[in-house]
Amino acid sequence: MTSVPANPQQASADASPPALAVSGDGDSLALAGALEITTLDEARSALKKWSRHVQSRTLNIAKLDSLDTPGALFLCGLQDKGVKLAGIRAEHKSLLDLICGLDLKPIPQVESTPRWCQLVVQLGKGSHDFRREAIDLTTFIGRAANWTVCSLLHPGCLRPAAISRHITETGIQALPIIGLMAIMIAIVIGYQGVAQLRPFGGEDYTINLVAVSVLREMAVLITSIMVAGRSGSAFTAEIGVMQTREEVDALKVMGIEPMQVLVVPRIIALVITLPLLTFFADIMGLVGGGAISLFLLDVSPVQYLTRLPQAIDGSDLFVGLFKAPVFAFFISIIGCMHGLRVTGSAESVGRETTRAVVKSIFLVIVLDAFFSILFERLGV
Amino acid sequence: MNTRTKAQAETILSAQGIVNRFGRQVVHDKLSLDVARGEIIGIAGGSGAGKSVLLKTLVGLRAPDAGEVTLNGKAVLTIGASEKASLIGVLFQQGALFSSLSVAQNIMLPMREHTTLPPPEQEQIAAMKLALSGLPADTGIKFPSALSGGMVKRAAFARALALDPKILFLDEPTSDLDPIAAGGIDALIRQLNGSLGVTVVIVTHDLTTLFTVCSRIAVLVDRKLTVGTADTLMKSDHPWIHEFFHGPRAEGAMKARKTGHGI
Repeated sequence: MTSVPANPQQASADASPPALAVSGDGDSLALAGALEITTLDEARSALKKWSRHVQSRTLNIAKLDSLDTPGALFLCGLQDKGVKLAGIRAEHKSLLDLICGLDLKPIPQVESTPRWCQLVVQLGKGSHDFRREAIDLTTFIGRAANWTVCSLLHPGCLRPAAISRHITETGIQALPIIGLMAIMIAIVIGYQGVAQLRPFGGEDYTINLVAVSVLREMAVLITSIMVAGRSGSAFTAEIGVMQTREEVDALKVMGIEPMQVLVVPRIIALVITLPLLTFFADIMGLVGGGAISLFLLDVSPVQYLTRLPQAIDGSDLFVGLFKAPVFAFFISIIGCMHGLRVTGSAESVGRETTRAVVKSIFLVIVLDAFFSILFERLGV
Repeated sequence: MNTRTKAQAETILSAQGIVNRFGRQVVHDKLSLDVARGEIIGIAGGSGAGKSVLLKTLVGLRAPDAGEVTLNGKAVLTIGASEKASLIGVLFQQGALFSSLSVAQNIMLPMREHTTLPPPEQEQIAAMKLALSGLPADTGIKFPSALSGGMVKRAAFARALALDPKILFLDEPTSDLDPIAAGGIDALIRQLNGSLGVTVVIVTHDLTTLFTVCSRIAVLVDRKLTVGTADTLMKSDHPWIHEFFHGPRAEGAMKARKTGHGI
């Protein structure tokens, strides 16, 4: 093979990095070796001292073994300053001609505005964006609700395959992590409860504390936040990538409404899934409460089960489960809206996904606070 | 070191006994290819023949299931990152410009990583590469999303040239381009090869590029490469190769070749 004899030569050439030597003095210097991107600094500093006052400066490059484009650019720069190049080898001539012949202009600088100016501009942009976002969100909620109701009234338009795929992905695959989180949260509340109630001799009420807070608030909140992070982001990324690859435009051209095939199945799937996941989290949270009771309060599982009905009633369960579909609706709407808002680049997919997750978790917590007040007023 | 005197016979890229398979599907079956320093070789083949997989194998992005690729006498999978960066440049099919960086930053990225040049000098070199690729200087501050298809190709070209690689791999450099832009890219490849002495490996369907730019053509058919010049391949009696070089579109490209040689 031809490569075998070439090997030793190559190895010796690579062992020593390309070197540059400058010789001569006064008005004529000579370069030898390699003038490449790696030796460019060397060349520049060696030639810096070269006096500008000398009338005719010549640089002999006959002994230059290799020359690359940055090296050629450097030589062209010297030539422009009145240095004469002598002894140009034939193989370097075409390269020098090419590079010196280029019409070189510096890359324009990006205009920068002062800090305080930026602050004002950002503030203005921010408030403008906020207004636009509010309008967008309201419009999108309206359109999505319209299409969802429309699809429900004409069941032929529903996409059962897509809905079941989303139920699998957002629901069944989330079961292990949500179960684990619910147990953990129950344990955390349980520990705090025991520690705070023991001085008053009321540690038995830890069971009430855990059961009520899990059923009313914690299960639904943890599940919603988890689903917003897991599935809301997936909605944005999936639809966003479709948007970058013009798949959404393809749907429109084919006369298929993206709202109907992309958004509605996701909304329906999540509205079905989230209450079920919440119920599952309720059960797992109560299991966690049972574990706490067993280990910290010496309450056996059977006793725990008999205590539970006294601690909680149906309204606790109802309050938690009632919130789930509302949260699900907003999580899926925000996920899909940001997905459809993606433009072009990969960066935009990342940005919109971040926004979707932040916004949906924020909204879940705001709505939860709103519901707390509402239920308190209603006395539920 | 001196590239063009004793050059022609020296092999810079060699692939021996390459086997690539996906599950049971064998894409390349003991395929071999030698590329001499300073030549322009075109790799052609039907859609799905495994051209892109071959390119990935040649540049060391994919370890073949058997066989070895050597670049400049070293196994491609063992070459260090910095050495590899100055040895090969790759123009990806979609350009693969980093969308979060401006065009100039894209070109300066390899210089920033692998050289110690001060930023103003890097910028000067980036401006030179832009001009070399036929782009105006103000393209430098634009972001890839603001460029047209042809400009993306040229900008990606400029980035592939950033460290003056010895071998340039081009994946479909003229696809998706109008004939004028494609002709410009063809001329650019010839010019770079002529002035910089860079070895070029082009993966393409474009018959005009194959006929007017490449000194040799390797056709990927039946999981192997058939290598020859345009003239010898024209006489091949393999049905696919015959069809490829004698189809209605090949005739026009042949004419371009004749006039191209006239210039």
